[in-house]
Amino acid sequence: MPRVGVFICWCGTNIAGTVDIETVVETARNFPGVVHTADYRYLCSEIGQDLIKEAIKNEKLEQVVVGTCSPRMHESTFRKAVAEAGLNPFLLEVANLREHCSWVHQDKTEATAKAIALLRAAAAKAVLNAPLIAPRLDVEKRALVIGGGIAGIQAALDIAEAGYPVDVVEREPSIGGRMAQLEKTFPTLDCAACILTPKMVEAAQHPQINLLTYSEVEEVKGFVGQFDVKIRQKARAIDATKCTGCGVCYEKCPTKTESEFEMGLAKRKAIYVPFPQAVPNVPVIDRDNCLYFRKGRCRICEKECPPQAVYFEQQDQILERRYGAIVVATGFDQLNPVEYGEYAYGQHPDVLTSLEFERFFNAAGPTGGKVVRLSDGKPPRNVVFIQCVGSRDKARGMNYCSKICCMFTAKQAILLKEKVPEARSYVFYIDVRTAGKGYEEFQRRAAEQYGVAYLRGQVGKVFPDGDRLTVKGVDSLSGKTIEIQADMVVLAAASVARGDAAQVGRVIGINSDQYHFFNEAHPKLKPVETHTAGIFIAGACQAPKDIPDSVAQASAAAVKAVGLLAKEKLQGEACTARVDQSGCSGCLYCEAVCPYGAISAVQIEEHFRGEKLTRIVAEVNAALCQGCGSCTVACRSGSINLQGYTNAQILAEVDAICL
Amino acid sequence: MAENNVDYSAKIRGVVAQDLLSGRIDLLLGWEKGHYWWQSRPLFARDQADLERLAWDSFCAVNLSRYLVDELKENKKVGVLLKGCDARALNRLVQDNMVPRERVIAYGLPCPGMLNYAALLEAAAGRKPDGIAEENGQVTVRGGGVELTVPRDRVLLDKCRHCLYPNPVHCDQLLLTPVGERQAPERFSAVQERESLSSDARFAYWEKQLERCLRCYACRQACPYCSCRECFVEQEQPRWLSKASQPSENFMFHLIRAYHGAGRCIDCGECQRACPVGIPLQELNRKLIKDINELYGHYEAGLDPGQEPPLLTYRPDDPAAFSEK
Amino acid sequence: MSLAQNRPKTEAATAGMEAAAQDRAWEPLIVAFCCNWCSYAGGDLAGTSRMQYPSNIKVIRVPCSSRMNPLFILRAFQRGADGVLVAGCHPGDCHYSTGNYLVRRRLSAFKRLIEFAGLEPERFEVRWISSSEGDKFSEVMREMTAAIKALGPNGKLRDGRWRKIT
Repeated sequence: MPRVGVFICWCGTNIAGTVDIETVVETARNFPGVVHTADYRYLCSEIGQDLIKEAIKNEKLEQVVVGTCSPRMHESTFRKAVAEAGLNPFLLEVANLREHCSWVHQDKTEATAKAIALLRAAAAKAVLNAPLIAPRLDVEKRALVIGGGIAGIQAALDIAEAGYPVDVVEREPSIGGRMAQLEKTFPTLDCAACILTPKMVEAAQHPQINLLTYSEVEEVKGFVGQFDVKIRQKARAIDATKCTGCGVCYEKCPTKTESEFEMGLAKRKAIYVPFPQAVPNVPVIDRDNCLYFRKGRCRICEKECPPQAVYFEQQDQILERRYGAIVVATGFDQLNPVEYGEYAYGQHPDVLTSLEFERFFNAAGPTGGKVVRLSDGKPPRNVVFIQCVGSRDKARGMNYCSKICCMFTAKQAILLKEKVPEARSYVFYIDVRTAGKGYEEFQRRAAEQYGVAYLRGQVGKVFPDGDRLTVKGVDSLSGKTIEIQADMVVLAAASVARGDAAQVGRVIGINSDQYHFFNEAHPKLKPVETHTAGIFIAGACQAPKDIPDSVAQASAAAVKAVGLLAKEKLQGEACTARVDQSGCSGCLYCEAVCPYGAISAVQIEEHFRGEKLTRIVAEVNAALCQGCGSCTVACRSGSINLQGYTNAQILAEVDAICL
Repeated sequence: MAENNVDYSAKIRGVVAQDLLSGRIDLLLGWEKGHYWWQSRPLFARDQADLERLAWDSFCAVNLSRYLVDELKENKKVGVLLKGCDARALNRLVQDNMVPRERVIAYGLPCPGMLNYAALLEAAAGRKPDGIAEENGQVTVRGGGVELTVPRDRVLLDKCRHCLYPNPVHCDQLLLTPVGERQAPERFSAVQERESLSSDARFAYWEKQLERCLRCYACRQACPYCSCRECFVEQEQPRWLSKASQPSENFMFHLIRAYHGAGRCIDCGECQRACPVGIPLQELNRKLIKDINELYGHYEAGLDPGQEPPLLTYRPDDPAAFSEK
Repeated sequence: MSLAQNRPKTEAATAGMEAAAQDRAWEPLIVAFCCNWCSYAGGDLAGTSRMQYPSNIKVIRVPCSSRMNPLFILRAFQRGADGVLVAGCHPGDCHYSTGNYLVRRRLSAFKRLIEFAGLEPERFEVRWISSSEGDKFSEVMREMTAAIKALGPNGKLRDGRWRKIT
């Protein structure tokens, strides 16, 4: 039986006011193994900690039990104190006498009895504590950023500036993301390209940044400090080292198809760069549409390319590389409102989503910067903006607010007025939400200076009506039905997670919420961390977000990544699972339930009647194990056990509590 | 089995003899007649002489798959005769990495169901039977100079009466013609009957059943899902339960034994058949099978080794047997 | 309460305890296993917010509800618990991603099994309590204590050699 010391904290009157300390101490003296007891006003103070340290030395204590506040509060404090006295820090057990006892019970007799029971359980567990050593893990001093939008670019720049190499994986042919599609940004109305392009160029030219465009992450294995990642670099069919970006190829290419960048409102060639400021300025051949790839003839681009950079035989490359930290910034999509039949989207060319409408303002956009109706090419007079299409919509299970729509609608209404001075804008809204620096002022300006009519209410239906659109809605303030003859209708469709976000999350190893936005580790205190150590999130892949928030979050994620990369070694989890190989039958049910892939099969040799036999058993990678203990329950023979929470320890706690 | 004048034993012997004598397999696991005419016991055949004793009749209830675990330690390749339930037991053992499938030749024997000696005794109406004859789904019990004929279904083992898969799955070779599909509409009727009782009445029922338990662990030894190298009941560190045959300890043993088979039990009923004091163990197993099927979708253990056992996986929208408010 | 109750049970101590117990009304013992990240933290919040609940509940901290071996539950009943609660993070919020999804299946099957053996459904419960649900924590504790009090002491699955029914 180890020599156990029990220390009770009064916590001023927080514990002592409800728990009879003297009775508790007297009783604890009789617990098995207890050779020393003490109590103190504030055990967490320096004097209190010294009390423990001295007793460890003088009384030769081998296990320490403290009856204090919640272990979630001060367990680490006391572990440190115990370690300073020369004991392994895991030879400490905490009984929660405050949050789980003195603060929730008023009757002193009851609270004292419960304190004794909790302390007895802690002492019973402590007797079985074993010294544990957290694994020290290497850190690969390189970061991976997934997604090359503004958040990804910002994170990459910050990490690179701190002195660490960064790879940025972007699945499109160019970095830039959603922001590259925007004409202006709220609330300052500066041109998106003017502030984004320099960042894109800076990222491309930074000696520490390696852009992997037209590439996708295929597999993430490993753990914090040592993520082993497989990246597929899709074949552009262009030798990027030869290409000068002259653009002759896409001028000559005979095949046209819909441009993704222009939201299908304009055409691009089969060999193309998505937009003029693309980085890198290296075209891609779209194999689904290229005549040569489809029918085996054409090759005009190859013939016309001055530096002979077209290379049809190019194959996808798989890059395998190790990273210490990962920042996920995969962005968002705008909901396709085609299922929202009441708005006639997809039934009439002048019903648009706001992202489509945004392209009308761009000089390089589908209309050359003119705001005109797609149906007849005339400028619109009445434009109706409908808010919350797919947001705050309980009936359709889309409960959340997309956050950015109120602002971009105000922006587009202002831009419209500037392009088409005679146009009138109507905005149907549920609430106008303008929290943000300068946001409220901006929206007021739209209403007051630009005469945008804000109508509180929801639109019931949009009817195509000759060459115009009739918008029927209810003004919820007056209760009156409103009917507007509109030339264009712009739908503020919800910001939604990328269509494949859940799948991407599974590949990377992070979880997502019911809408498939990636989950942060804590909604307030860990907004860029995920539950997977070493993987951080930034931007709209976490939740709908505007540019300043995305950039701020990206910088935050970068700091977290840099903080990790700056460490010589990482401290792993000490309470990890361990296999007793002699009992393990090798069924590997533990492997099936492990959320971290920390368990694998190994072959061992055994002697059986003079012969060597091999069999498989489970093995835990302590660096990967996070200590949940799910495996221990899948193991019927108890051959895999969780250190710090062993089967014997939990049984001892149960027995002690029931005594 | 020599029904309708065909000697199936001879037919089987012919096929496996070739494999055994050619060295394709080192050992054949089959059945031979036991001490009594109503007993068939495992046969470990290594040569022609052993094979002569091979018997396939209506008493080959013993599941031979379990013997593979030990026999494969000493033999490179083992052939085994498998009924429907035995074949699913083999799948169970393969799924649990207890048997390397590539070192087994599985000979499937479509099974008409095995007979229950106790039921035959009952059918013989007080006389001691000294043999049976079978024809067209009827069993004729001979004894004391009298012959009594009963429908075969009436004298089947309980485990066979509720069998859904008499034809072996995933065998390397099927030795006989498949038997007809079976229905088991009453598979869960005993469970449902118990469910309809009050908590106290259910407890009283089980208390009465489990107080007989000798803690001999024959149920465990017979079971193809009990594949642990050291069972929790025998562990010293920690001591999960004491060795005493005491009511709460017996409950603990049987509830956990059944729970360890949750999503894994193939419902072969060997545990219950092995129990010397007649505890209706299969009821506990079937309770779990029934509930897991109801809650998490239909699953038959051992039928498809590629399908993940239901307790090793989940769906985010799974229902629960408790309030999730 | 007499100190004797908390000493290892010598015969005399047990006798003294029984005598003392005669004077008191029966109070149930409920063992609650709480996951460290959500439910235990929810209990901490209940404490910080001074949300009162009966002292019959004694909490054992486990890292994750998926650490809950059904044997722990049976052991508690065997040693004299009148009720057992397992509390974990809400599905989808598990600190370890998937633990409570597995728990839902494991303990649903197990709950039905022990009810089949005759245990009253109220005696074993599973609840999802997040770290921000201090109110829910204390409410669940109050509800469960009331339900067990209504049922009375549990004799089923109990080993008479341990805690006596008083």
